[in-house]
Amino acid sequence: MKNYELALIINPDLASRFNPYKEHLESVLSELDFKNIYCENVGIRELAYPIKEFTKGHYLIYQLEGNPPKIADLENKLKYDNSVLRHLLITIDELSSSDSFLTQDTRDSKKLAEEKAHEAKLKNETSINADSDTQIKDNSKSTQLKETEENDNDEATENNNTKDES
Amino acid sequence: MSTEIPTNFNYKDIKILKQFLTETGKIIPARVSGLSAQQQRKVTKAIKVARFLALIPYTDKQSRV
Repeated sequence: MKNYELALIINPDLASRFNPYKEHLESVLSELDFKNIYCENVGIRELAYPIKEFTKGHYLIYQLEGNPPKIADLENKLKYDNSVLRHLLITIDELSSSDSFLTQDTRDSKKLAEEKAHEAKLKNETSINADSDTQIKDNSKSTQLKETEENDNDEATENNNTKDES
Repeated sequence: MSTEIPTNFNYKDIKILKQFLTETGKIIPARVSGLSAQQQRKVTKAIKVARFLALIPYTDKQSRV
């Protein structure tokens, strides 16, 4: 028995078919007598460069225990699997049973992207408000808001800025 | 330059690996990064694996296609 780490980049467009596909993968692994110690589901990440015209990929990292003669079979199966964009099978000294930095990183970047989208939305709304001719009303509103909530402070200052420009 | 240099470099710790890349994605030579020969070999290997898995670009030219 040897310790292996199998990293896979899977087609990101599987969506609802992903879970059945993952089960299929795991059944292939167990057929070839690979013991699945841990599966790190990293999630969909932006690829550093396009692979097979995909700009995103679903990363999976398996920690496996298996026998060397079966490696060729596994490589062959992965090679002819159209859903696998890229695979890497390496031997490692010690199996880990926790998520690596990658999972954390993808979560963080996902959150950042969501926050950015949210901010952009807010900005659009405020700019629309500022554009309308009821700027005086906005001003009085903003002074009220200042007293009530901190979050809305940003909005209010933005309104003031636009007023200064005009 | 870097705060922590691990004894073993892993291709998954791209934050650490990026410290040893130039802006264009080249590997910084040991004479510049100040790593020992052994460390430099390990970093290089980890970076090349990370590149293969599209975690790190080979060059900045291909990233914006």
